[in-house]
Amino acid sequence: MNFRRLTALLASILGGILVVIVTFLAVYAWPAVRFNRLHFLTQNNWNLGNLYADPIMVRGQQVLPAAHYGILFLIAGTLLSTLVAIVLAVPIGVGAAVFLAEALPPVMRAWVSLFVELLAAIPSVVYGLWGYAVVIPFLGHHLFPWMVEHFGFIPFFGGHAGSGYGLLTCGLVLTLMIVPLITATVRDALVTQPAALREGAVALGASRFETLWSVLLPGVRRVLTGASILATGRALGETMAVLMISGNALNYLPNNIYSPISTMASFIVSQLDSALEDPTGMAVRSLAEVALVLCLISIAVNGIARVLLLYQDRQLTRAV
Amino acid sequence: MGTAAAPLPRIRAASHHRLRRTILDFLGWGMSAIAFLLLGGAMVWILAVVVMRGYHALSLTVITHVTEGYGGGLLNAIEGTLILAFGGLILSAPLGLAAGIYLAEFDRGRLAPVIRFLADVLVGVPSIVIGYFCYVTLVERLGWKFSVAAGSVALAIISLPYICRTSEMALRQVPRALREGAYALGARDSRVVLGICVPTALPGILTGVLLALAISVGETAPLIYTADWSNYLWTGHLTKEPIGYLTYAIWAFITEPFASAHALAYAAAFFVTLFVLLISIASRMVLVERPGWRRPWTR
Amino acid sequence: MGATSDAETICPTGKTISSEPQGPLPATAAKISVRHLNFFYSRRQVLYDIGLDIPEKKITALIGPSGCGKSTFLRTLNRMFETVPYTRVEGEVKLDGEDIFGMSVVDLRRRVGMVFQKSNPFPKSIFDNVAFGARVNGLKNRDKLREVVETSLRRAALWDEVKDSLRKSAYSLSGGQQQRLCIARALAVDPEVILLDEPCSALDPIATAKIEDLLFDLVGSCTIIIVTHNMQQAARVADQTGFFLLGRLIEFDKTEVMFKNPSRKETEDYISGRFG
Repeated sequence: MNFRRLTALLASILGGILVVIVTFLAVYAWPAVRFNRLHFLTQNNWNLGNLYADPIMVRGQQVLPAAHYGILFLIAGTLLSTLVAIVLAVPIGVGAAVFLAEALPPVMRAWVSLFVELLAAIPSVVYGLWGYAVVIPFLGHHLFPWMVEHFGFIPFFGGHAGSGYGLLTCGLVLTLMIVPLITATVRDALVTQPAALREGAVALGASRFETLWSVLLPGVRRVLTGASILATGRALGETMAVLMISGNALNYLPNNIYSPISTMASFIVSQLDSALEDPTGMAVRSLAEVALVLCLISIAVNGIARVLLLYQDRQLTRAV
Repeated sequence: MGTAAAPLPRIRAASHHRLRRTILDFLGWGMSAIAFLLLGGAMVWILAVVVMRGYHALSLTVITHVTEGYGGGLLNAIEGTLILAFGGLILSAPLGLAAGIYLAEFDRGRLAPVIRFLADVLVGVPSIVIGYFCYVTLVERLGWKFSVAAGSVALAIISLPYICRTSEMALRQVPRALREGAYALGARDSRVVLGICVPTALPGILTGVLLALAISVGETAPLIYTADWSNYLWTGHLTKEPIGYLTYAIWAFITEPFASAHALAYAAAFFVTLFVLLISIASRMVLVERPGWRRPWTR
Repeated sequence: MGATSDAETICPTGKTISSEPQGPLPATAAKISVRHLNFFYSRRQVLYDIGLDIPEKKITALIGPSGCGKSTFLRTLNRMFETVPYTRVEGEVKLDGEDIFGMSVVDLRRRVGMVFQKSNPFPKSIFDNVAFGARVNGLKNRDKLREVVETSLRRAALWDEVKDSLRKSAYSLSGGQQQRLCIARALAVDPEVILLDEPCSALDPIATAKIEDLLFDLVGSCTIIIVTHNMQQAARVADQTGFFLLGRLIEFDKTEVMFKNPSRKETEDYISGRFG
């Protein structure tokens, strides 16, 4: 087989893996999909049923009596924590990118940027450790009660300050994990903007910051959007850090920003042991359904981001 | 001939206007500095906690003994992490390099863009999903149970698209003129690529592999589903026997009410974080020097 | 022989061009013969109905303004265009009577070597650069390789300058030396034809003179085709010259005839500098 065909074949295996994963999960979760139907996505009730009773037939599937799987709280937890993270990460990311691109001399730029980007390299579980060990005590005992007292009038900012585990904590830690992606991309884009643009604005009397705000930043809008969507994708799939700091809510929606939540990714990990106790296997298959939903969401988000960034990619990957 | 044009309005640099602009400027730079300090501060805080508590927890026992209940050492975990990570690399590096070669050298027609897109999307799939997939297919269906094999395959799937894309980018940096020179001497595709392109792009390729190693060392969720945990050193079996790894220790032991368990968790975090950071720094130093290197996205 | 084309193009001096039969054929045998060659890059046609015979063991120069297709034509002779996607060729090219599209491309490129405009030594030692082609074509014996490397470097007039530093990186050589290294590398596979694509355009006059001298030595054993932007160079080295314009071969004749007494107006305009 000639070299080109061989590498094409091997590359196709890589391409095929994604297809295989989705297909397999779908096939495996199919009985659960049929059993759970649409209320999987709309109800807040994850219940393995009566583990000591005999299985019964419901809607064509063997399940334990009173078994019911609804993951609305997971969807809410995932989307809300990601939303908090993105809302915080975009301004902070752009701000830091501006600082790195404009306020630092080039010599320092590389090293300082590296220092900030390492935030993305720290493993999720180490974030969870840090969050669990030092951040949550701080938030739960000091910051959150202070916030409730002073900002409690804003909707969702009042009420019970919680223990430190919850939506806002997850949002904050997720922010730290995804900001470097935005900062790095925007910083690169700012640095490579043609000098002619800057010169044009400055020649008209604009200050450095005005140049930045009105001329350069609008130019990086597309890149910023793409990077933000990629960052969203990463936040959606974060597992270990969330598992350790979210409070692992079961079957209820958060009523303020300090409430515990669960995300789809963290739930899959936390529930495996219990799910294995269901002899009919429906619990495990429902977990697979959760994984399938998460996978599909992430494929959609990443697909959109890649298409948006494709233009930028093409510009830079042509070799000399 | 037209009438005389109306006189242009005089643009007055009024002092209040100037002041307003100065204040806005100051605010703008101030906010960006704050943003930067928040990030820098968080980084320092994390490093401080991990390094200080981790260093405190280090002792000779940690690296010479295996875990016993909630105390002991981390030898089994260290060994397990290395075995799983290298096992994953053995599977993913050759395949990823081959795919990267295809995307860089033979990108004509429609197959390459499709594969590239699929690879990019695969990078973004949460590792827990990949872990669950491996659980369903390898651990259960194929009967491998919690094992080195299942864990390595899961890590390989996670590393594969990453190595593929970084190899592709490294190969694209090889100047066209070098390839032409080789073809003009009558070399076949395989010789040109393996004899000229890959050796020239080797630093970039190796860096991609190192970064994938760093990612593998830091992964937890997929391994929980495929390798589980073991208090013992590896018995040499690829299937049907679980194995320990450092990140599990971080997760499981910190929530236990024993100080000895906490110490192990911090020690494990120390090792993992140090390893990951060193590799990330080293790879950036190698890569950032090269002109035209486009930033590889981070996981 | 000659070629005719239906479409007409406007030459920069305002006259229309149509291809007419080329000048008289050289008396020696044709090493490479080209008939009705058309070249397309995607939908765009770049070469129109080229026909000529390259004489054996002589230096043939191809001149013409930028972008007129001479480099493209050169690259069809060793099928280098096949490394670029979306290219298509129609017509016939024969090497010693054999169709080059029928033979193995690897064999063709061993017999027809190429030197590029900007020297492109591999990131290897001087020795390994020259030996690469030989190794690729199957030569493994260390002594034979050493012999081949020395012979090639001598033929490229580079041996004396590098014989003590064969293991050093090729990039430690100057521009002119690197180009001679590339020539040595091409010679190492013992080609019958050497194609040179503006080999001196990046070199100073002294380095250029060295390479031109070396061509005179090589022509005793190889057929040489050189594309050049520099008319004076063509006048200095070539036995035959072909003039390309806008994808067509306008005239092809002995160099003296081309320069002193061209039969086509377009040739005369180019040579006298009315456009370029």
